[in-house]
Amino acid sequence: MVKKWRQRMRSWLTNKLELPADIVMDLPRITMIGQIHIYIENHRGLLTFSDKELRLLLKQGQLLVRGEQFVIKTILPEEILLQGKINQVIYIDE
Amino acid sequence: MKNQWLSLFIGSVRVKVQGRGAERFINACLRNGITVWDVKKHSEDITTFFILLKDIPNVRAVVRNSECKLYFIGKNGFPFFLKKMVSNIGFMVGISLFFIMVFLLSNMVWNIQIKGAKPETEYRIMKELQRMGVEKGAFQFLIDDPETIQRKLTNRVETITWVGVELKGTTFYFQVVEKKQPKETKRIGVQHLVAKKKAVITDMFVEEGQPVISVHDHVKKGQILVSGIIGKEGQTKLVPARGKIFGETWYKSTVVLPLQASFHVLTGKYVEKHYITIKNILIPVWGFKKPPFSHYKIDQQKKALRFWRWELPIFYERVIYRETEEVTRNYSWEEALQKAKEIARKELKAKLEEDASIKGEKVLHEAKENGKVRVEMHYQVIENIAIPQPIVQGD
Repeated sequence: MVKKWRQRMRSWLTNKLELPADIVMDLPRITMIGQIHIYIENHRGLLTFSDKELRLLLKQGQLLVRGEQFVIKTILPEEILLQGKINQVIYIDE
Repeated sequence: MKNQWLSLFIGSVRVKVQGRGAERFINACLRNGITVWDVKKHSEDITTFFILLKDIPNVRAVVRNSECKLYFIGKNGFPFFLKKMVSNIGFMVGISLFFIMVFLLSNMVWNIQIKGAKPETEYRIMKELQRMGVEKGAFQFLIDDPETIQRKLTNRVETITWVGVELKGTTFYFQVVEKKQPKETKRIGVQHLVAKKKAVITDMFVEEGQPVISVHDHVKKGQILVSGIIGKEGQTKLVPARGKIFGETWYKSTVVLPLQASFHVLTGKYVEKHYITIKNILIPVWGFKKPPFSHYKIDQQKKALRFWRWELPIFYERVIYRETEEVTRNYSWEEALQKAKEIARKELKAKLEEDASIKGEKVLHEAKENGKVRVEMHYQVIENIAIPQPIVQGD
């Protein structure tokens, strides 16, 4: 109950005060450059990785990236830069 | 984002993780502050990536807590390059030796060419050059620059009038102009010899012509001494009168000399400093101490270093600090008088021709005024007073 209320409070704050949503609400910020790069900030760890699939843990749910010839160019505790041919980016809610 | 250059500099290794849960392994790495990049999955249980060389001890702890096996499969970066270089030390020494050799050889004198000199002059020039240290195999930055060599050569070898010194690459070119020893006698036209100035004739030496004066005669300026017209009346012939007529002439000169004067003189002590100069940066090579003199003069010599055939923007600079001393000269009355006479004599000698001689001197007047000595001298000089005067024909 409290959690849901807090969520709504934050959502209202970002709307009214025009604060960046990714910071206030701890959402991932995803930057894609065409099909070849995807840059994801605010992730919570690597779940699976292969050359066709990357699964990342988020604060809420998971992010699934599908494609071909994946290489993790850089990985830091909260950031990841993936290179390859990206076909799909899917949010999975639990 | 990490810096690619930094990883290259501090060194990195490529590792292979074998076993299930490579993702968990990477997560654990990140939690432990280990930077990971270029992660690739080759098959279900083989993953490769790069880590920094300095993180290897931390990785061991991570490996122990996982169910994976870690293999090192590649290394790159500066530390490994260094290691490789150390193992190939002979090769490296060879390369640097090669460059040092080329550098040294391009800064040597390899050839000395002397043009326009007679063999004996050439030999003398060679000898002088050797004395100056200019010879085959000498380092260019240790010898004098061409201008100095030129000056020294012209001063020391008196049979040459002029010498052009040029340094082209590693070769010294000397272009010599020799003094023409026996002067060609010019064809001279008919002439008289007349007196240059007022004098009393003391000696005569007539080669050609009819002398019209005799010893002890008093002559005026412009008076004919030796006539160019010879022969009896009516059968005259014109000749170029030649000869030397010595006469006693008189000179007066005044010298003013201060009794007290101060100079800066070199004491002979000096300190040398050597620098390598790149653009405006001076790198001291030798001589780091400050010159221990209170007064000094600075001599600077700058020479460009060469490599192969190019002049490098690097200079070898030699700075010489010469100690100077202020000296106050004090003359007593007698000394000053003596000195003034000497100066007067010297000045006169410089004015006179070589075959002239001073016969006698007299002090006309001496005075001390405002700390200065003023001396008026009178000289009797024996000199050649004859000068030619062409005879204008057709009169």
